Amino acid sequence: MNIEGLDVTILGPAFAAGLLVLSTHVPLGHEVLQRGIIFIDLAIAQIAGLGVIAAHVMQLDSHGYAVQLIAYGTAALGALLLYWCERNWPDVQEAIIGTFFIVAACIGILLLSGNPQAGEHLKELLVGQILWVDYSSLIPVAIIYTVVLLLWKYLRSHERPLLFYLLFAVTVTASVQLVGVYLVFASLIIPALSVRNAGKRRLWFAYGLGAAGYGLGLLGSALFDMPAGAVIVLTLACLGMLTPMMTKAAC
Amino acid sequence: MTNRRILWLAGSFLMWFNQATHAITNVFTCEPEWAALVDEIGGELVKTGSATTGHQDVHHIEARPSLIARVRQADLLLCTGAGLEEGWLPVLQRRANNSRVQVGAQGYMEVANHVRLLDRPARVDRSEGDVHAQGNPHIQLDPRNIPVIAQAVAERLSVIDPEHAKEYQDNLSDFLFRWQTALVGWEEQAQPLQRMPVVVHHNSWIYLINWLGLDLLGMLEPKPGLPPTSVHLSQLLAQLEQQPAQVIIRSPYQGARASEWLAERTGVPDIVLPSTVGGNEAVTDLFSLFDNIVQQLLSVKQ
Repeated sequence: MNIEGLDVTILGPAFAAGLLVLSTHVPLGHEVLQRGIIFIDLAIAQIAGLGVIAAHVMQLDSHGYAVQLIAYGTAALGALLLYWCERNWPDVQEAIIGTFFIVAACIGILLLSGNPQAGEHLKELLVGQILWVDYSSLIPVAIIYTVVLLLWKYLRSHERPLLFYLLFAVTVTASVQLVGVYLVFASLIIPALSVRNAGKRRLWFAYGLGAAGYGLGLLGSALFDMPAGAVIVLTLACLGMLTPMMTKAAC
Repeated sequence: MTNRRILWLAGSFLMWFNQATHAITNVFTCEPEWAALVDEIGGELVKTGSATTGHQDVHHIEARPSLIARVRQADLLLCTGAGLEEGWLPVLQRRANNSRVQVGAQGYMEVANHVRLLDRPARVDRSEGDVHAQGNPHIQLDPRNIPVIAQAVAERLSVIDPEHAKEYQDNLSDFLFRWQTALVGWEEQAQPLQRMPVVVHHNSWIYLINWLGLDLLGMLEPKPGLPPTSVHLSQLLAQLEQQPAQVIIRSPYQGARASEWLAERTGVPDIVLPSTVGGNEAVTDLFSLFDNIVQQLLSVKQ
C-alpha cells in the first residue's frame, strides 16, 4: 500500500480526462456494438498515426497544430474509406476494418524503418498516458466533444452512417492522444457490452459503470503504485462483468 | 477566542511540519545509479528514490501516481540528461508542478553536463536512428566519470542544504578515496580483457568498451533503437566468421531473442551485463556494479 499518490491534484486531471472520454465513447460504443465493428477504433487510431509518420518522412517539419491537423485529416480520410467499404460490402465490414488496422500498422513499421524518430511521435499519438494529462490539455478536447455530442444528438447520426464515421474518427483521434488505445477500446466497448440488456436506462448505467471504473482504477493504481492505464482497464473489465447481475436484480 | 486558538494550533502545526520536512533532503533521481551515488554522498541526511529500476529501459516509462507525488516532494531532481529522459521527464516535471525542481532551478541537475560525452554526432540526422544530439548518454558505465559527478552532487547538496555542507564534503572525500582504490583494483583485474572482441545489442556500452579497451565488432541493432533486419544480421554473421567475437553483451531490459539467435549461430556465449545498480541481484551499489561487470567478462574470456 502506498498513500503518496492519493492526491487530488495528481488523480483529479486524470479522472476528468476519463469522464470526458466516457462522455462521447459511451453513446458511440452502443453504435459500434450494434454495427458489429468493434475494431474500428484501433483502425482509425492507427490510420491517424500513419498520417503523422508520413508527414515526418516527407520532411514536413510538423509541430503542435500541424501534427494535429494531419492526424485529424488522415483519420477523416480513413473514415471516408471505411464508409465507402460499408456501402459496398456491408456483410464483411468487420473483416475489412481488421485488415485496415494491420495494413496501416505495417505501412507504419516500413516507413519507420528509415526514420525511427517518427516512432516517438507515433507513440505519443497512440500510447497517451492518462496520468500525464493536465487540465489545460483537456480544454480543446472538451470543445471538440461538445460539438460531436451536439451533432450526434441533433442530427440523429446513428441514422446517417457517413456522419457517424466522421464523428467517430474525430472523437477517437482526440481520445487516443489523451489516454491511449487500450483505455479508448475499454471505454468504448466494456460499458456498452455490459449494459446491452439493461433496458431503457442503459445509457446511464453505462456512464455510471465507466465513471466507477476510472475512479476505482485510479485509486487502485495510486494505492498499489502501478501503471494507471492498465489498472483502469482491468477495473472496467471487472465492473463490466458484475454490472449485468446487478442491473438484472434492479429490473 | 476559539478562532485565535485554532489559528495558533494551525500555525504551530505548520512550523512543525516545515521542520519535519526540511530535516531531511528529498532527492529523486531518474536512474538508480544516481540514487546510489547520492546515498554515498548524502548518507543519513538524504532520502533517495529512483523513477526507474535496473531492469527498465530508461527511454520509456509507464506513468504511476507515485512518480508525480515524489517529484512534487523532491528538493533535488537528479537525472542523466543529454536527452536520455526527454520522452517523459518534461511532462513529469510539468505535472508535478514543483518550482524547486524545474529546469534552471537549483533543485534540478543533469549530470551529463559534467562529463565529456562520446559519440557526439557531427550532424543530427533523423535517418541515423535513435541518436542523441548531445552525445551518448549512458555515461554511468565508465567508472572514471563517477568522481567528477560525485563532486558536482556534493556541491549541489551543499547549496540546497548548507547546514550539512561539511558532512557532504566528508562523505565525498571518503567516497572518492574508496572509489579510487576500487578503480585501481578493477583496472588491474581487467588487464586480460584488453582488445577482447565483443558484439553488443544496443550502443549503450560504448563507455564501458572505451574504459576497458574492448574491441567492438558490431551491434545487433542496425541503427540505435531499431530492430535487427535480415540484411544486417547476415552481414554481422559474415563479419563474425572472418573475425570471431568472444562475447555478446546485452542489458537486462533488452529482449533475449536477437542475442540468443546470434549466440546459437556462432557459438559465441551471450551474457546479460547489469547496466546500472539493481541490474541483477548481486549489484546493490556502484561498487558491486563494476565488480559484477568485470567478473562476468573475465568468466567468458578465453
